[in-house]
Amino acid sequence: MKRRRETDGLEEEIRDHIERETAENIDRGMTPEAARLAARRKFGNVTRATEEAREVWRMVWLDQLAQDAGLGLRILRRNPRFAVVAVAALALGIGINTAVFSVVNAVLLRPLAYPHPERLVWLADHDPHIDRDFADIANFFEWRRYTMSYSGMAAYGYLQAALGTPRGAGYTTAIYAAGDFWKLTGARAVAGRLCGEDEPDCVVLSWGLFERLYGADSRVLGGATTVNGRAALLAGVLPRDFRVQLPMWWIADHPEPVEAFVSLPPPRDRMAQSGQVFASLKPGIRIAQAQAELEALQKRLEKEGGHRGIMTRLRVQSLAEKLSGGSRRALLVLLAAGCFVLLIACVNVASLLLARAAARRKEIAIRTAIGAGRMRVFRQLVVESAWPALAGGAVGLLLARWAVAVLVRTAPYAIQRMAETTIDGRVAFFTLAVSLLAAVLFGAGSAVACRRANLLSALKEGARGGAGLLGAGTRRVLMTVELTLAIVLLIGAGLMWKSLVRMNQRPPGFAPERTVVMKVRLAGPRYRAKPAQDAFVREVLRRLAASGLSAAGVSTWFLFDGAPAFPVDSDPATTHVIRVNACSTGYLEALGMKLVRGRWLNENDDGVLLNESMARQAFGRLDPIGREIAVPQRSTVVGIVADLKYFRPDAAAAPESFVNWQSGPGVFNLEIAARTAGDPHVVVRELEKQLAEIDPAQPVYDARTLEEALAATIAPRRLNLLLLGGFALVALAMAIVGIYGVMAYAVAERTREIGVRMALGARRGQVIAMVAREAGGVAAVGIGAGLLAAWGATRVMAGLLYGVAPNDPVVFAGVAVALGLTVLAACVGPALRASWVDPAIALRAE
Amino acid sequence: MSTRDVDRIELLQGTLDLLILRTLLLGPLHGHAIAKSIERNSEDVLAVEQGSLYPALHRLLKRGWISSEEGTSENNRRAKFYRLTAKGRRQLRAESAKWERLARAIGRILRPAGEEGRL
Repeated sequence: MKRRRETDGLEEEIRDHIERETAENIDRGMTPEAARLAARRKFGNVTRATEEAREVWRMVWLDQLAQDAGLGLRILRRNPRFAVVAVAALALGIGINTAVFSVVNAVLLRPLAYPHPERLVWLADHDPHIDRDFADIANFFEWRRYTMSYSGMAAYGYLQAALGTPRGAGYTTAIYAAGDFWKLTGARAVAGRLCGEDEPDCVVLSWGLFERLYGADSRVLGGATTVNGRAALLAGVLPRDFRVQLPMWWIADHPEPVEAFVSLPPPRDRMAQSGQVFASLKPGIRIAQAQAELEALQKRLEKEGGHRGIMTRLRVQSLAEKLSGGSRRALLVLLAAGCFVLLIACVNVASLLLARAAARRKEIAIRTAIGAGRMRVFRQLVVESAWPALAGGAVGLLLARWAVAVLVRTAPYAIQRMAETTIDGRVAFFTLAVSLLAAVLFGAGSAVACRRANLLSALKEGARGGAGLLGAGTRRVLMTVELTLAIVLLIGAGLMWKSLVRMNQRPPGFAPERTVVMKVRLAGPRYRAKPAQDAFVREVLRRLAASGLSAAGVSTWFLFDGAPAFPVDSDPATTHVIRVNACSTGYLEALGMKLVRGRWLNENDDGVLLNESMARQAFGRLDPIGREIAVPQRSTVVGIVADLKYFRPDAAAAPESFVNWQSGPGVFNLEIAARTAGDPHVVVRELEKQLAEIDPAQPVYDARTLEEALAATIAPRRLNLLLLGGFALVALAMAIVGIYGVMAYAVAERTREIGVRMALGARRGQVIAMVAREAGGVAAVGIGAGLLAAWGATRVMAGLLYGVAPNDPVVFAGVAVALGLTVLAACVGPALRASWVDPAIALRAE
Repeated sequence: MSTRDVDRIELLQGTLDLLILRTLLLGPLHGHAIAKSIERNSEDVLAVEQGSLYPALHRLLKRGWISSEEGTSENNRRAKFYRLTAKGRRQLRAESAKWERLARAIGRILRPAGEEGRL
């Protein structure tokens, strides 16, 4: 800054100087030409004066930087092996960090691709048992009408759609949308138009579906079609890059893309009972205010006898937070893990640099002797290390690009919004910053090691050509650090692995791989009345019975709130929410439920089965068999089944009651389960065909084995494990390579000493024991420190674990033992080499 | 080279800096005025190549011994004026003392030699 200001106008100043001199000369009586000539001669070389004046400011840092950079490049070129190893290690470390950061960037940092993303909020009734949000659609319309805090409010929900096309029904995953959906998403139609506000039965297609079903023929737009047998208008098409933002659980349940958007008919048509609600806050309104208003409104609506909230746990939260909330912690843990890997890479490179310290020490001693300041030497070392770091960063960026592409392709839905991940300017900047930080880190490391280089002893030792033991202490510290970092990562991965094992533990008799599940949602005018629904279910049951499956049945589950108090808390003012599963006799058997007490339900039974959690909640230690419970009509408990996690493997089983399917209020969402001894995928196809024969306008969806359905709900956890495990393995490999290198170098360094020992009578076993003792000491310290660090660090992972304490002793002990053995294995080579030292040769080498 | 130039003394490294500081002790001056003042006060003995004045000024600026400011010269033209800073004043005191000691020492050594030669 100062330099720029001071040298500004330098030329002008010098010109001015010469003019003054000329004027003086003229005053003294010279002719103008002679005067100018004399003035110029007296001034001397103008260009040199200008340049030297500028040089004063420039020289110091820029030229030296260029010097250091040139020197660093020459040194790197002279040691190609070091260059390759250093760049590879750093590229791995930086690549991992860049890849994770690019996901963090897309998921946590980049705003939603909706207009005014900061004002968007999520409104819901939360069901803590299954961790799902619902909003009653009837309530949504009231909210939208009576609240003042929002500039727009929209609802949407999952819809399997059979769309009418010129060539018969086309099946796709759609969502129904109501309210200000299009205003809030900010979407524009590329052909036709979007649905108007409150315009019923209107369909907007994704570009992909428009091509697939209609051959991208824009003449169909504005024409009539059908959605699950209901007449609708085909309004328009969305651009290719439009992406609807869906919550995490939705994507776990329905990973396929949403391809059509259907506007909701009036609530009385009962096309949808519940949905997801999001809204845009008016400027200046805070979330707390909006929440208070919503709660007050809901209370008033309930008092006036309107619709009730299902769970009465109303929540208003930021939409961005809602969408990324599930992956925030996991991503931060992964980012920390990536940093650990990079640190290990840095430690490795630093210890490589140290191994060359002997040669460098002499050079640095000479530099210091001829007047280089301490700061100057430090800077030179850092600039030198910037080369491998920057090269590693560049390669790492390429690695990250490739890794992100693979990740997005293989698991696009495991992390919310991950498909939006790209390497943008922010990511590139992050990579550059990380690379430079790494350079400073290990450059400073080697500078600190060299700082101890006593001038005199370095020169003397150098004359003898010995490497000395300088850096042995530092190298031991680096090795310890490496082990510490690696063990923390390994324990993190171990805990996640054990969680996954715990989640997949199955009670005897539960065989999800042989159980087929699928869903049908009865929609359209034909199934508005219960008799038509019952007829459909009866036909499904008849075909299931005829199909020769070992067990099969249907179920539809719903929630009842306001059921009277249970015996255990029989306070008449208390009411309960009850989860009721109305199912046929074969359904529970097909899932693999086990009867603990009492009996199963019969056909036309009006009793109720409880699972153990429900029995405990309702009756405590009383014997529930023969007692009555309101579900919501009073029914007698006939049996107890064991808790079974057939819905989410990573949560405790919810309290549930089971009644005969005919006792339910209506059958809209039908779930079918069947158990087979044969190939389940053949059964899936067979059942899909059978159901299409009953009514082709009612699409079957989510058809898969129960095992696949369960796996889908824990896909994010599996991805986390895969990534963390991968990082841990990379870290382990790097640590082993690093430790091997350090030990091999230490042995080579001490060849003379070992030769002396052997000449004086040390046996091979004793030499091996000496090397092993040294490695064992470092390993013990590193592993001990790592266990302590992991003890503290894994606590942040508590939310990512299931059924495992963050300080699980088995994982800790297992990792410690495994790592200890690995370190010893890495030392076998160097120890053997030490034992093969021939004293005669080693001593002659002196 | 004219015969007159033979009598002039080339400046030692760093001496010019000291002369500039001394010149500025009387008040802020622009570049040309500094050169003139040095010439006049040394009775033209010291050969200052005027061009070398500018790198020297920038050296002093960078060390913070002098500062620069815009101003108007005697004939109402805009010019850059250099002013001695407090730090420069301290530096001048230290350097002058050093010079005087050096000059005295050299003088002491040279004088007896000259007297011996006359004997």
